[in-house]
Amino acid sequence: MSGMGVIEGGWEFVWTAYGISAAVLLGYAASLVRRLRSVQARPLREAGRASDVL
Amino acid sequence: MRGTRPVTAYALAAVGLLLLGAGSFWGLFVAPAETYMGDVQRIMYVHVPTAWNAMLAFTFAFGCALAFLFQGSWKWDCRLEAAMEVGVVLSALLCAQGAVWAKPTWGVWWDWDPRLTTTAVLVFAFAGILALRTFVDDPARRGTWSAVAAIVAYIDVPIVYFSVKWWNSLHQQPSSPATVSSAFHWPLRINAFGILFLMIALITLRSRLAALRLQGELAPPLPAAAGGSGLAGAGAMR
Repeated sequence: MSGMGVIEGGWEFVWTAYGISAAVLLGYAASLVRRLRSVQARPLREAGRASDVL
Repeated sequence: MRGTRPVTAYALAAVGLLLLGAGSFWGLFVAPAETYMGDVQRIMYVHVPTAWNAMLAFTFAFGCALAFLFQGSWKWDCRLEAAMEVGVVLSALLCAQGAVWAKPTWGVWWDWDPRLTTTAVLVFAFAGILALRTFVDDPARRGTWSAVAAIVAYIDVPIVYFSVKWWNSLHQQPSSPATVSSAFHWPLRINAFGILFLMIALITLRSRLAALRLQGELAPPLPAAAGGSGLAGAGAMR
């Protein structure tokens, strides 16, 4: 901080914000794909008529 | 969402990630630093689009809740569950991004400011509804209760938006392309569409997951157990 109402530096906060965003969005997307594949691998009796719901 | 296949969702996610990459590159390396906040302002390019899309996800959830109550179709229950979960993820991310922005600009990671407080209430309200769904075994009751709860929780969304206007808030007024310099427009817009496409993809995939799980719950009993009372199976799939 310069003490004049202007913020100097702060790139570490910028990288942190973008890093958290990437981790959360990609992590959630990956978990979703994994859960979906897990459920799709179940017997057809349980998973077969999904298109009726969708 | 009828006929939507995962490949469409994956394509939307890919487009969203490409846009996010381009918008973030522009915001980090091309756009100028803001006069007073300097480089820290670059967090805006990911924070503001996250806020817009989180509110959009909850608004979609609100619409799904109404549609489920009026139409009774299971597809709206699946979409409601999906939109709420994606909305919670985005709004929790929003709080984390805001904390990282607050530290260098306000000097604290968190403040019980009206905007921050109402946003935290929103996260916990919808996370609570998702938790409630896991405790209710009957799909019909679960759908109805969570739809009603989602409608009640949605009341907080306009409160979040107007909180900076109604109360003396530490948080600045809402940002939009109309209120920021033209030098900052493009990364903001590109990232907004990037998260939008990604959000649609995530809701589509999560809705499909909810539908598959619901299908398992509503499936008729195995032949050996046929004749039991159970749920109506295909008859319940409206």
